[in-house]
Amino acid sequence: MTTIEIGRMLRAGTSGFVVGCRVSQLNLPSFGALVSVPLEDGYQIYGLIQDIHIDDDGLVRQLVTADGVDAAVIADNRLNRNVPVEMSVLTVGYQQDGRIYHLLPPRPPLSLDMIYLCSAEDLRRFTRAGRFGYLRHILRAKDLPVGELLAAHLQQSDQAHRAAGNSDWAAAAAQELITLLRDDYPVLMSVLSALSDAIEL
Amino acid sequence: MSNQHSTINNQQSAIGFVVGGGLKENLRVRLTVPSQSVQEGAFVVVESGEWLFYGLVTDLQLGATDPRFADEQSETRLPVDLARLLHGQTLYTNLELLPALMLERGPDPVSPAYQMWADEIAQGLRPAPRPLPVKTIPAHHTPVRLAAPGDIAEIFGKPEESGNFPIGYTREQGHSVCLNLDKFVQRSSGVFGATGTGKSFLTRLVLAGLIHFNRASVLIFDMHNEYGFDDTASDTGERVTGLKAKFPSRVRVVGLGQGAQIRGQTPDFNLEIAMRDIQPEDIDLLTRELNLKETTPTTLEALVNSFGRERWFSAFREMVNGALVEDENGKKVPAPGSVAFWANDAGVNVMAAEGLHSKLGRVFRLTYVVETPASDSISEIIKALEAGQHVILSFGKHESDLDYLLVSNLLTRRIRQAWEKRTNDFRASGQAEPRPLLIVLEEAHKLLNREMAAQTTFSTIARELRKYYVTLLIIDQRPSQIYDEVMSQLGTRISGWLGDEDDIRAVLSGLSGREALRGMLARLQPKEEVLLLGWGVPMPLPVRSRRYDDQFWKELLGKRESTRSESQILKELGF
Repeated sequence: MTTIEIGRMLRAGTSGFVVGCRVSQLNLPSFGALVSVPLEDGYQIYGLIQDIHIDDDGLVRQLVTADGVDAAVIADNRLNRNVPVEMSVLTVGYQQDGRIYHLLPPRPPLSLDMIYLCSAEDLRRFTRAGRFGYLRHILRAKDLPVGELLAAHLQQSDQAHRAAGNSDWAAAAAQELITLLRDDYPVLMSVLSALSDAIEL
Repeated sequence: MSNQHSTINNQQSAIGFVVGGGLKENLRVRLTVPSQSVQEGAFVVVESGEWLFYGLVTDLQLGATDPRFADEQSETRLPVDLARLLHGQTLYTNLELLPALMLERGPDPVSPAYQMWADEIAQGLRPAPRPLPVKTIPAHHTPVRLAAPGDIAEIFGKPEESGNFPIGYTREQGHSVCLNLDKFVQRSSGVFGATGTGKSFLTRLVLAGLIHFNRASVLIFDMHNEYGFDDTASDTGERVTGLKAKFPSRVRVVGLGQGAQIRGQTPDFNLEIAMRDIQPEDIDLLTRELNLKETTPTTLEALVNSFGRERWFSAFREMVNGALVEDENGKKVPAPGSVAFWANDAGVNVMAAEGLHSKLGRVFRLTYVVETPASDSISEIIKALEAGQHVILSFGKHESDLDYLLVSNLLTRRIRQAWEKRTNDFRASGQAEPRPLLIVLEEAHKLLNREMAAQTTFSTIARELRKYYVTLLIIDQRPSQIYDEVMSQLGTRISGWLGDEDDIRAVLSGLSGREALRGMLARLQPKEEVLLLGWGVPMPLPVRSRRYDDQFWKELLGKRESTRSESQILKELGF
């Protein structure tokens, strides 16, 4: 279980949630990373960061057009901003009673629940469970950059698995993706094109 | 444990799994190994539940889950490994599988049900499993594997058993494929193939097997003097062993005509034909060859009426064509002893009789047709055949169609009479069972074409003489020229490469799965591969034929020698 906090829950639904964090927390999570929301009694929800969003506010709008903004002002604006950095997370599974399910969770996390970044071990454990059922959730999200998200996720997971001496994981994942997408030629080719930049089998 | 082993082995050697199809349209099998590792004509086994299905690969087809995967060369866009994964999932090869036979193998051998099943068979409560024509199909996703030597032995017979003659090997794995010679001689058979496809070598192989097996007597009409004595191969120039050389006591070579020499050697005896043996039917048969007129049968009938069946030929031969004398009025009239004189006397059209006489000139001049032969060589041939010897009738220098038609038909007619008599004696009075006889006909279309088939003895043999223990082995390069009715009666058919559509159709006539076999026949490798077909073989199968060389003889005759030495050893040991 990781202890790297990356933010708190802003709003949530069954299929995804949005996390708010300070800019100072932003150097750790990355696009495609696996995060978890531990809740009561070992119930834990997993998600993939599918978007990181930085909204503007009135002050930023003024500063953007101002001349010669002082570095201290910029640093202050970033550290003490009113509007949090928002991370959209796609729910990909949950854990209950020690078992990982690649299904949508029974109920979403609540506001201000703490979100943690998963460690390499957590990542391996989640991606090894079952037979890549969680890829379903990614492929269903048509308005997301599916190929890019998959590429980022596979790259990170592959690194985690390789670090543990398992170099076959990426090929198995790619194989599963091809099986899932082989009836959708355009999407499959765009995913494979993204994967070819991200991983080496 | 052994079953587990076999399961593991099967999984290892699985080449694919069943994905669709049926009995009418053949089965479709998704290939899981590279497409080049399986060839058309491969003998494969499908193990589904309690049944084993045996079939033949009749086609290989490339497929794609989406045509775009096939159209686009994705290996140029993607890294090699990713492209390989993609192709593994989206591009595939389908086999078309012609299911031919199925064999019950019972429940899982480790289950108690298996023991019960085996016991029931042992007690005769249920029939012992044997290959049956396919009546059902394997389930979806059943693994398919290439046949092992045991599978082929199960279907085609074990090579070590007597009567099973290894005719060749499966094309991919080289497992031995046998021909059941007992079955082979039970019905008429055919060896076909375009010229230069190794027909006569194949025939030599089969004949050597038959003579060695010695269950039936063989009479070979050797039009081109190929089979008796050693010969030289027309294409390679190598020496080819004759059957006489290897079976000196069992094979008798008969030369046509007095003093005939065959390949520079003297035959065992010579065949001369007595004039009394020539019947009007023999002449009818030569209608096309001699270009005889429609009036011929009438004239022949009148000749028989005038001189009798035994005398007509010599009497007609002695008549002079066109001889005239002056009568008391000084008018020229046909001389006594002339054709016209007889014709007037017998009330036959003079022109027709004279025309027939002149056309029969070729027959009259045949040197082997004599008034009184030195010995009754026809009876000698029949006696030799009845005694279990094999006769090769070499035509020597008499190689024309006329000789072939006349002699083979005449001799076969006599043989047919002899065998019919013996069979009737056997059936009526319980005398010795006649020895099966196989008559080997080269260039069979000359005797069995549409016009002639009705007149020759051979078509009768092909149709019904099986009951009288006489069958034919037809060797021909133009099976389409042979009368359909004869072709459809052929049990075993061994065919080399055939190019002509009509010939292919003729060879496949009366067989199921013709469409699938058609292409296979056209794509056989000349000189090396033959397709086994018909009633005499359990299922159609292309094989790489055995080579007719010293090795073949060593393998064929070696068996006998080894058993002899074994018995000698036992003798020496005092048993």
